[in-house]
Amino acid sequence: MDRADIIKALKAPGKWGQKYSLWAVYFCTGCGIIEIPPVITSRWDAERFGVIPMATPRQANLFLITGYVSVKTLRAIIRTYDQMSDPKYTVAFGSCPINGGMYWDSYNTIKRIDKYIPIDGWIAGCMPRPEAIFIAVTKLWHMIDIGAATGYKRYKENYEYYKRNQEKVLGPLPHYGIQDAERPY
Amino acid sequence: MWPQRPILSEQLFGYAAVTTEERLKSQIESAFETVKVTVPRRQRLVVEASRDSLALVLMFLSSKGFEHLCAISCVDWIDRGTFGLVYHLASHREGIHTMVNISIPREDAHFISVASIFPNAQTYEREIFEMFGVKFEGNKRLIPLLLDHWEDIPPMRKDFDTREYVKQKFESIKPLESKE
Repeated sequence: MDRADIIKALKAPGKWGQKYSLWAVYFCTGCGIIEIPPVITSRWDAERFGVIPMATPRQANLFLITGYVSVKTLRAIIRTYDQMSDPKYTVAFGSCPINGGMYWDSYNTIKRIDKYIPIDGWIAGCMPRPEAIFIAVTKLWHMIDIGAATGYKRYKENYEYYKRNQEKVLGPLPHYGIQDAERPY
Repeated sequence: MWPQRPILSEQLFGYAAVTTEERLKSQIESAFETVKVTVPRRQRLVVEASRDSLALVLMFLSSKGFEHLCAISCVDWIDRGTFGLVYHLASHREGIHTMVNISIPREDAHFISVASIFPNAQTYEREIFEMFGVKFEGNKRLIPLLLDHWEDIPPMRKDFDTREYVKQKFESIKPLESKE
């Protein structure tokens, strides 16, 4: 850790913990996942940045949307995102989740993932290099520091908006979680 | 091991005797009067069948060693008002690829299922039903395969406007910034 970070960490130890323990959920959509094996293994070694892949969404807090999102995949993405625990961060990877990319007029591909789940950062490019993931991670550190990575809060505040958009594309979805959960106490 | 390809007579004797393709062509044409067979090149056979004779042609070909149905493809000939169905059959023993073409009317498109001859046809017919809207009578599992929550006309038809669909389904949703 940098010496200058010690004061920061003492001021807000929670943020310090969140910054350096990003667990990326193993979820592959589209072709961008081909960049992930070199990123997490010895060639680029994402563990230097505190990013470790996790098999289950309940124990992960970083969601990389790697590549185009078909309508069927969106259903799985929403399910996975709902299961992840707070604070959770989402990064859209590649040009397809941003505006559809080369699937801009496809009938079966989501054009802008931002309308269905909140996104904290975008990596443009087709394909982005593995270094772009590390740039995104360091940007995400900065955003956590200044309190700008608030996608999960936005999701709770505008849950009706996101749910309406999801149901427009996917049809009726089960409403569970934030709205309908009964408190045990 | 792949089965060895038969040695052609022109390789052996220096002149072309009756090739396997030609032999199959004459066999099919003598068995079915209305069926037209062409040999575009080596190891290819194109059979123009009629709607009534298709099941018999497929049964005949499967008895001649064409036991692999590779795919069923559908072509939307919107100007002619027909759908073309192409049954791709392969004979691994002879190394020949046969395409059996038929055409069915585009309005109220329906056809018989060949799943009783080739069981794997069930999935191919399911996909064509979903993407083109051709109903296959006798297919027991004609339920959606790939699309999710689809309400429009089948997407692979030529009169389906992809751009218009994208505009009204995906681009009509306002981003969160402009919600208020």
